[in-house]
Amino acid sequence: MNNNLLPLGTRDEFGSRAVNKQHIISVIEHSFSDRGFAKISTPLLEKKTVFEPYKLGNYQLYSLLDQEGDTIMLRPDMTLPIARFLSSTNISLPQKFWYVGDIFRISRQLSGSYNELTQAGIELVGYSSIKAEFECLILINQLSQKLLTDPIEIELGIADLTTVILKDLTDDTELQEEIAQALYDKQIPKYERLIDRFSNQPEYQFLLKWPRMFGKPERIFAQLAEDDLSPEIEQRISELKQVVNWIQTTLPDQAVSIDLSSRAPQQYYTGLTFKGFSKAGSGYLFSGGRYDKLLANFQDMTESAVGMGINIDLLTDLIERKPTVQKKLLYFKPDQWQAAEKVLQQNPNSILSLSDNLDDARKEAQQLRAELVDLTEGEFIG
Amino acid sequence: MDNKRLKIALTKGRVEKQVVPLLEAANINCDQIRNKKRRLIFDSETQPLEFILAKGPDVTTFLERGAADIGIVGSDILTEHQSSQYELLDLGIGKCQFVLASTQDFDPKAPKRKIIGTKYPLITKRYFDSLGQDVEIIKIEGSVELAPLTGLADAIVDITETGTTIRENNLKIFDYLDKVSTRLVVNRMSLKQHPDEIFSFVDQIKQVVDKKGKTISK
Repeated sequence: MNNNLLPLGTRDEFGSRAVNKQHIISVIEHSFSDRGFAKISTPLLEKKTVFEPYKLGNYQLYSLLDQEGDTIMLRPDMTLPIARFLSSTNISLPQKFWYVGDIFRISRQLSGSYNELTQAGIELVGYSSIKAEFECLILINQLSQKLLTDPIEIELGIADLTTVILKDLTDDTELQEEIAQALYDKQIPKYERLIDRFSNQPEYQFLLKWPRMFGKPERIFAQLAEDDLSPEIEQRISELKQVVNWIQTTLPDQAVSIDLSSRAPQQYYTGLTFKGFSKAGSGYLFSGGRYDKLLANFQDMTESAVGMGINIDLLTDLIERKPTVQKKLLYFKPDQWQAAEKVLQQNPNSILSLSDNLDDARKEAQQLRAELVDLTEGEFIG
Repeated sequence: MDNKRLKIALTKGRVEKQVVPLLEAANINCDQIRNKKRRLIFDSETQPLEFILAKGPDVTTFLERGAADIGIVGSDILTEHQSSQYELLDLGIGKCQFVLASTQDFDPKAPKRKIIGTKYPLITKRYFDSLGQDVEIIKIEGSVELAPLTGLADAIVDITETGTTIRENNLKIFDYLDKVSTRLVVNRMSLKQHPDEIFSFVDQIKQVVDKKGKTISK
């Protein structure tokens, strides 16, 4: 068997992709630091129990046994480890954290998907105010402007809206679950079969249009005005309208849409959800929301929290390759190191050639598409 | 509004033959597909559409990876390949059904771990799981009927339209599983990125499907 093959679903990163990815991480890191977020790093490996609240999509998780025979996992998510950290320490709240690191999810074999993904994000823990959500929305707006040439659209949703609507509709919890699944997955033939039994009820007209209730807020709110909604639903819609108004006032150039038929990113979400996408990407670049019951998985006390993940790999796919300034490759003899170091300091676009002779340095310059500067010929004036 | 050209991955072969008249009835020009020769990709000169002809399982891969916005493929393949994309329309064509079939002497209640031949291991596993039975599944790529006839398997799980092939091979149907039909599926992100163009295309076809459904039910 060859010993130089990668496991399925993994990749090496080098060259422009590695440079672009590092650039994105650096921009994000500066933005978070400038806004006073504290860096947090958690281990790649966690006990399996940490991820019990985690809902698997179409993928599996990497797991292995530790010395005591307990199952440990390569983390598929960054939020639950931070919740675990908070519940096991006496960190005073509120806190604003930021993180960047790799997560691991096993996708369908040979599907072209990668199993190791880089994610950055923030966790605002101990904040019950809507200002925590606004902080995330501002960051989506600012980071997308810093990193992308194409504008992105922010899509808002309400984590428990479907549950509230379906509880009003029927007491049959199995049916509620079936309708919710068909709605989230937009399996329209199945969804229409399931709601057919309510065709004589006043809610039927709403049920019919529900799967298409996403897009421009004005259109969706106008559609909702035709329906007789329960006070509980009205309250959630009213809160959503306030957020839309806030975005339209505070970030007038930011495209915003709403989706009343989508699944929350994870089942621990409890309030507003938000996602960001561009016209070009193959997935969501930003995804987050409020999850006030997150810590309840690890301790008796609940805690207000809002968080957001950023798909660094997808951003890297989209980022425009910056035109690179041609580098100068400095060739010098070992005893000229001080002189070479001086030129290096004075010329930010120069790099040292570690080649042993001029011929090798020429090849190195060709490979790097750099201009060769031969310091053995005399002093270089940059 | 941007001029998004929708990429439509269409399952070639039987599905293609049934879908093309449906698309034409919805005023979608399919001359390029009708005169395709050996070509597999068609950029329409008259409509903002690009058609890709591919095998059913590949249609789901194109969709999953975002290489196509819309896919037209059988529900058997969508289920087997665990498609996570949006299924917006049942086209009401390509109707068939999964069956459990075998030779006349097969005893479904025989107390043994059965060997089942199939092109659809996941669907087969789910079916026997629902019966509380653990079976040995052998993946077969084609002519599944051969499996019980040659002793390779005790029975098969396969799709059949009329049951003719099964009967002609002296096999008997022992159980009926899920029904199958051709579906129109949309990539999740594409629907968010280009809802107007996609819904316009879907609704054009839905009108024809609904009209056809009404004609049949009369």
